[in-house]
Formats: sequence, structure tokens, C-alpha cells
Amino acid sequence: MVESAPAIVAEETRPRRVLPQPTADSRPFWEACARRELTIQRCNSCERHWFPPSNRCQHCWSDDFWWRPVSGHAEVYSFTVFHRAYAPELADQLPYVVGVVELAEGPRLITNIVGCDPGSVRVRMPVEVVFDDVAEGVTLHAFRPREKAGAP
Amino acid sequence: MYGRSAAIVGAAHSKLGEVPGSTSIGLMADAAVAAVADAGLQRSDIDGIIVRGPDDEYCFQQQLGERLGLNAAFTTSLDNGGASQALAVVLASLAIEAGLATTVLCGYARNSWSRTRQRGSRKARMNQATHVRTREWRDSFGYFGEPATHALGAQRHMALCGTTKEHLGHVAVSVREHATRNPHAQMRSPLTMDEYLQGRLVTTPFSVYDCSLRTDGAGAVVVTDVSRARDLPRPPVIVRGFGSHNNLRGWTVDDHMIETAAQASGERAYRNADVSPADIDTAQLYDCFTYMVLAQIEDYGFCAKGDGGEFIASGALALDGAIPTNTSGGQLSEGHVEGMLQVVEGVRQLRHEHPVERQVPDARLALVSGHGGNTVCHTTLILERD
Repeated sequence: MVESAPAIVAEETRPRRVLPQPTADSRPFWEACARRELTIQRCNSCERHWFPPSNRCQHCWSDDFWWRPVSGHAEVYSFTVFHRAYAPELADQLPYVVGVVELAEGPRLITNIVGCDPGSVRVRMPVEVVFDDVAEGVTLHAFRPREKAGAP
Repeated sequence: MYGRSAAIVGAAHSKLGEVPGSTSIGLMADAAVAAVADAGLQRSDIDGIIVRGPDDEYCFQQQLGERLGLNAAFTTSLDNGGASQALAVVLASLAIEAGLATTVLCGYARNSWSRTRQRGSRKARMNQATHVRTREWRDSFGYFGEPATHALGAQRHMALCGTTKEHLGHVAVSVREHATRNPHAQMRSPLTMDEYLQGRLVTTPFSVYDCSLRTDGAGAVVVTDVSRARDLPRPPVIVRGFGSHNNLRGWTVDDHMIETAAQASGERAYRNADVSPADIDTAQLYDCFTYMVLAQIEDYGFCAKGDGGEFIASGALALDGAIPTNTSGGQLSEGHVEGMLQVVEGVRQLRHEHPVERQVPDARLALVSGHGGNTVCHTTLILERD
């Protein structure tokens, strides 16, 4: 059972959002986020994970999988700090950080890096998941810096 | 096995840059007519069309055929993004060898500069029904626009290999330098490293100077078989070989943003053409962003992976450098026509048709690349002077 991560309010480092429209494949992922759980599909045939959500195992093509709660621990694989506002609503959020994080369990996901100065983000930085209720019924994940040694 | 029996006999582009009132299909027709004329051919000779337009225009080859009054034996429009234009030349070569057609028009057109002016506000754009998948996994996190994807690659390359902002700057400065000698280029004023470093940031590490242009423009070439090519006015440019590779699993998977699909595509092309990197006299590389030039220079074996920054900073891309690259100014400075101008320039260099200040001396082999299709499709062409 993964320890549920706290909700954060970090508006000063978070871009206001276009909201995701869940699909049949992705709905369980977003429902888990609303429970403050990060879950990833895991294949019952070959035991590997994949992301983003799909209706089949990306590795062995089996459709027998489950949504596994994962640790929420990850490492920054890469990142980029946005300085251009792609919409007027985003202008007061600049600069904000889009990251690709590599989960301890393997898959990588696109997210935001929050809770730190954008200039301090580094490739390989250890991070942990946090959750943000951005709208009625919509919770998104983000990742913040994590102390590696002695993490619970 | 491909028999090396195809050759490019005509190459041309439309007006480039800011062409108010232009349409994609109008620009395409202009480039097509000019390419056929350049080949010394006429309308009745064309029996194949592989052209591509904006992603929101269906069956672009039908639009062109209608406008040019052409029924044609073999036509299609490819869907590999920026890898499509080099792939069109590959497909044309195979179609000719297989007897599907004898003379194929390949090209691309988009009135991108005009579209940028016509679109509604950025707010309207953000609220447009974008593709559900993009919206869910990118837009929701503020990940918009073209630069971010390659910026992620550049950022990681900097962390792993010590590549610097200045290294990327040398790409921008080198390619702009070529454009200063191209009367058709969209950006012709010299770019200094200081100006590059002061450039307005888009998304790190990219500034505006790391990004290709928005261009109204079209490019086209005509491909036919070698024996016929030798009867036509221009020196034929043989399609000597090609290779492709597509990291469909995704840009963020494995090391795809560091060792890109160019590496496997290039390996296949070199083997197919029976040449090595040392044999290549000039490279026309798909330069959507400065980082992709650096990554391809490494992936194509012109230097080792990780050494691209220093190699380029040493002047490697210049006309008298180790590998003269994007010699008409690339998409960074001549104009973005989704890789089609790289095909055209490869042909022009091998024909030796440029004035001496733009000509790679005694160019015999050119490498032309295409990259795109959600950032993971890649085509490599090896062209040879007859």
C-alpha cells in the first residue's frame, strides 16, 4: 500500500490547465489521481509496466493487466522551463517546468516539476509525486524534489 | 535490392518567406511547374505525384493533380511529418523501378507564415479541440508547441554530454552564415554569438534562434529513371541509396532523444549506398531546431556521440568545414518547408550550379535527412552526382 501523498497548493509554480478528457483507457489512471494514488498498468502475463495507458501490454500484447499503485518515487529524466506563454492564461504562470520523470518502476511520464525554483531543476534529480486538485473532479499529478537518503 | 536506377532531374522552390495572400496549394503548383520546367520536361511527362501539404488538408496530391490538370498512374501523400519529403524521393525511386510510374513529382507546401497571421488569438488556439491524446498527456501540463519536445532532448544532452548553449549557438550561427549568401532566404542578416545568446527564451534551453522559421513556401523535385535523365538538360543527380528508421515507441522512451532514429536510418542508408560518413561531401539535415542538427551530426557518424558541440564549434558546418551543412540556410534561416528545401539544395550542390561562394567544391555525394512524425520518424537519402 503506497502512502498517499499530500495535496499541494503551489499555484505560484503551476500552470493553469487545459483539462484532460479521460478515455476508456485512461479513466482508471485519473480516478486514482483523485484518490491521490499514482497507478500504472502492469501486465499479468509478462509483469512489465507501460505508460501512457493503453488497452494492451506494450511488450507482449496481452490484454490481461491491472492498475498497480506505485511508489511515486522517480528521477528527472529531462525537463524544460517554459518562458513563452502559449496562451494569455499562462502568462502569469511563467516560468514553469515541464518534466519527463522516470518512475522507480520504469515507465516515464510527462508532468510538471514543482515546489522548487525552476532554475534548480536538474536531470537525475530525485523527485516524488504530489497531487493537485485543479478543478472540480480533476486531480493532476506533479513531482517535487525528494530527499533521497532516508526517504520513507 | 534497389538498383540505383532513379535520378532527380528537376528541382525548384516557390517564393519563400512572407508571401501575403498565398495558399499552400498555390505555392505547391508554383514549385511543381518550376521543377518540371527545370527538368526540361512538360505536363504530359508526369505520371506520378507524391506531395504533402498541411496536416489539416486531406489528399493533397488530388488537389495538385486537379490544379495541374493531371491524371497520374501513381500518387499518394505521406504521413511521416518532416520525414515525408525525403521518403517521397525513396518511394518515387521504388515506384519507377517497379514500373508503377516513369516520372514522379515530389514536393511539399505550406503557407505557414500566412497561417500564423490568420489564426485567432492564442487563447482561442489553446481552447481548440486538440487531439484528445495530446490534450491529456501534454496540454494538461502546459506542454504546448513544437519547441518543447526537442528542448527536452537538448536539455538531457547537455546534462549527459556537457553540451552548452554556445554549442547550440554555433549551429544557429553557422546555418545563418550560409543563408546570408542565399538571395531567397527568409533570414539573411548575419547572426553573431552575442545576439544568439541574448535571444528571447522560448522553453529552455531554446531561444527564438534555436527554432526554425514559419515560412510561406513550397519545394518540388522530379524523379525519373537514370537513362532518361541522361537525355535531359541538367546533370542528373542519382538516388544512390536510402534508409529509414522510426522510433514509434516514442521520443521519451529509451535513449531516443539522445541517439535518435537518424542513427539507424543513417546506418541503413550508408550500407544501402555502399558509402561511409567520410565519403559525404555535404549534409542537408532536417533542422527543426538547432539540437536536431547536433544530434544528427553525431548520429550520422560525422563525429562521436557526445562530441557534436565541440565539433560544430570548430567550424565543421561551414562551406570549407569538415561537413558543409545546410548550405542554403536550412529551416533555421532559409525557410521551413518541412525538409523539401534540403532535398532541393542537395540536388543543386551536386549539380555544381551555385556561384563559387555558395558551392561546396567538387561535391559528389550528399546526405539529405528528414525527421518528424511525432518526432520519431526518420529518412536518410544518399544522392550522387552522375
